[in-house]
Amino acid sequence: MRFNPTFSTTITADIQQTEQALQTALQQVSTGKRVNLPSDDPTASAALVQNLTQYANDDQYTTNADSALSQAQAADQALSQTVTLLNQAISLGTEGANSTTSAAQRQENATTVEGLLASVANQANATFSGVSLFGGTANGTVAFSPNGSGGYTYNGNSDVNYVAVGATLNVQTNVPGNQIFQQSGASALGSLQQLATALTSGTSAQIGAATTAVTSALNYVSQQHAIYGNSINQLTAQQTYLAQDQVTLTSQQQSLVGITTATAAENLAQAETQNSATLEAAAKVLPTTLLSYLPN
Amino acid sequence: MGGLNASLSIASQGLQAQEAAISVTTNNIANANTPGYSREIVNLSEGVAVGQGDTALGGGVTLQGFSSVRDQLLALRIQQQTSQQSSANAQTSAFNQVQTLFPTSGSGLGVDFSNFFSDISSLSANPASAATRQSVLSSAQDLAEEFNSISSGLSNQQTSLSQQVTSSVAQINTLSSQIATLNNQLTQLTAQGENVGTIQDQIQQDELSLSQLTNISITENGGLDSITTGNGTSLVLGNQSFALQTATGSNGLTQVLDSTGNTITATITGGSLGGVIQTRDTDLPSLQTQLDTLAYQFATAINSAQAQGYNQNGTAGTALFTIPSTVSGSAALISVSSTATAASIAASSDGSTGSNGNVANLSAVATNALALGASPSNAYASLVDQVGNYAANATSESTAIGTSLAQLTQQQSSESGVSIDEESTNLIQYQQAYEAAAKVISTISTLFTATLSIVGG
Repeated sequence: MRFNPTFSTTITADIQQTEQALQTALQQVSTGKRVNLPSDDPTASAALVQNLTQYANDDQYTTNADSALSQAQAADQALSQTVTLLNQAISLGTEGANSTTSAAQRQENATTVEGLLASVANQANATFSGVSLFGGTANGTVAFSPNGSGGYTYNGNSDVNYVAVGATLNVQTNVPGNQIFQQSGASALGSLQQLATALTSGTSAQIGAATTAVTSALNYVSQQHAIYGNSINQLTAQQTYLAQDQVTLTSQQQSLVGITTATAAENLAQAETQNSATLEAAAKVLPTTLLSYLPN
Repeated sequence: MGGLNASLSIASQGLQAQEAAISVTTNNIANANTPGYSREIVNLSEGVAVGQGDTALGGGVTLQGFSSVRDQLLALRIQQQTSQQSSANAQTSAFNQVQTLFPTSGSGLGVDFSNFFSDISSLSANPASAATRQSVLSSAQDLAEEFNSISSGLSNQQTSLSQQVTSSVAQINTLSSQIATLNNQLTQLTAQGENVGTIQDQIQQDELSLSQLTNISITENGGLDSITTGNGTSLVLGNQSFALQTATGSNGLTQVLDSTGNTITATITGGSLGGVIQTRDTDLPSLQTQLDTLAYQFATAINSAQAQGYNQNGTAGTALFTIPSTVSGSAALISVSSTATAASIAASSDGSTGSNGNVANLSAVATNALALGASPSNAYASLVDQVGNYAANATSESTAIGTSLAQLTQQQSSESGVSIDEESTNLIQYQQAYEAAAKVISTISTLFTATLSIVGG
């Protein structure tokens, strides 16, 4: 069998192959990625698209959760304040209902309760980033406005917003103000107005009844307060989950398309060795022919 | 019956034979690096014996001519594999460009989908925010433009491949014509008893170039190669060639026609032309259709979700995207509705401006499967997978054929290639034989002189 005399083309192909490997190894070291184009690993590339979509979703869910949490905390604070105010009113009512309390003292308490009513209304009109916390889904309007006869009119609606903080998790972000402050039979604003009126001109029994109404309202507001507490707990837990999920996704990205520095460096060293060995061998083989040894 | 004259004649034949051998060696060395050159050998045979019985002497050496060392079967296999490799290379080259239209990270349709749905999701936190609404509108525009850009990238690639079809057909015609001319020369030289090795080398080289362009079939007919394309369209018949033609088809792309004007585009396989046509007429249209379907179904889903809600003015939501009435062309023509403004995003479910109830319907488009069977970003991931596979498969096919082609080429080279070492050895051998024959002539000349001096003496 005659051997292939024109091995220069074979050598050129071998050199090109090692140079290609060297280039790939260099790219892996410089980018830290095993997959730089879809054709490097189509399945991993497609999985990366899905992974990055999921990661971006998590980012957005986190932003939504942060925003919803701040809103819920603001509402929570407003309701805590309301609970304190209602407790103060109950103390004043209890004092006023006592038959030994003087008319002057009752009047003084009535004035204080009117102040408390204004403070509760103020809490009910609390806003967050310009959005009314207790106005339902209505926007650009104050939730409660004075009705001219010592009471308040609700300007919002009874709708509720939910915010997406996960692929299948939506958290309620508001409780409509009429449900918290003007619930039938447990109206915080109504009972405070009733108490102020009773303290001004009512009997001990009427003051007592009004105080009981405030107590009912307090209990109801506390129940509504718990809704926000639940939302806050849910949002905090979801934030933790999202942060963990992003860590998992990042680690998946690395295993899909990344390459460890050690492996990349090892590949580079191997490619360099192969390349220089091929070049060295080519340099030795190429110039040698029988003619080199013939006398001139 | 021998004699000095007979010896002189034999020695003279020897000189001529070695001269011929040296000229073949010289020609081989000169063409050591000529592509397609097959080494030649000198054919020598013993001369017919002179005399009778035990006294018969050898008749010297006879120069029978020269012949090229080649293996036709090997050449045929190399042509076939070259054709396949060129096809794979053409596809690799096209898809290496196409796959840049489908990035996995940083930019591209996947990122635009994410941004769009993130912005919609942001609306749930503050549905009345003008800035957030404007972001949704901007990212909707980015998304539509990305669809337009990919679609245009695919169309441009088809146009560029059409130009390659035109230039490949021109090259095929040039080569066919050359081979027909060479066939003509081959007939004449063969009739004159000349060495036709060079012509055959050129024909073989042209046939190899032709097989790089398209799959060809070669049949030998009366010592001449007849060439047809893989599907039987005649290119060369004896000393006649048949030029292929090109024309713009109804789809605006260049079609290949045979010499009589019949369209043969779909039947062309193999070679760079086959690869280009496969990519242009099958693979890219498939991607384009999937992209159109994605654009159409995504826009329809968003528009439907819009219709379920209310815009910032409290009126029923209107279409956010404008698309054609059919799937075809949707990716190229999708745009944000000309009447859409930031206020048009139908976030509200009850008509009040602070409601975010319809955001859930808009966001659901991101996660729910479209009619095509996947969510928008998963459909894009599937496109990335396909484009990656097209490119990777073509590359690995080219590499696989490359390995076997390298082996075949090595075999051909070991059969037909020029070895400088071998030729150097031959040269020394012929030189020595030539010197010996010359010495014989010189000796016989001395003998003649001696004999004549006896006679003259």
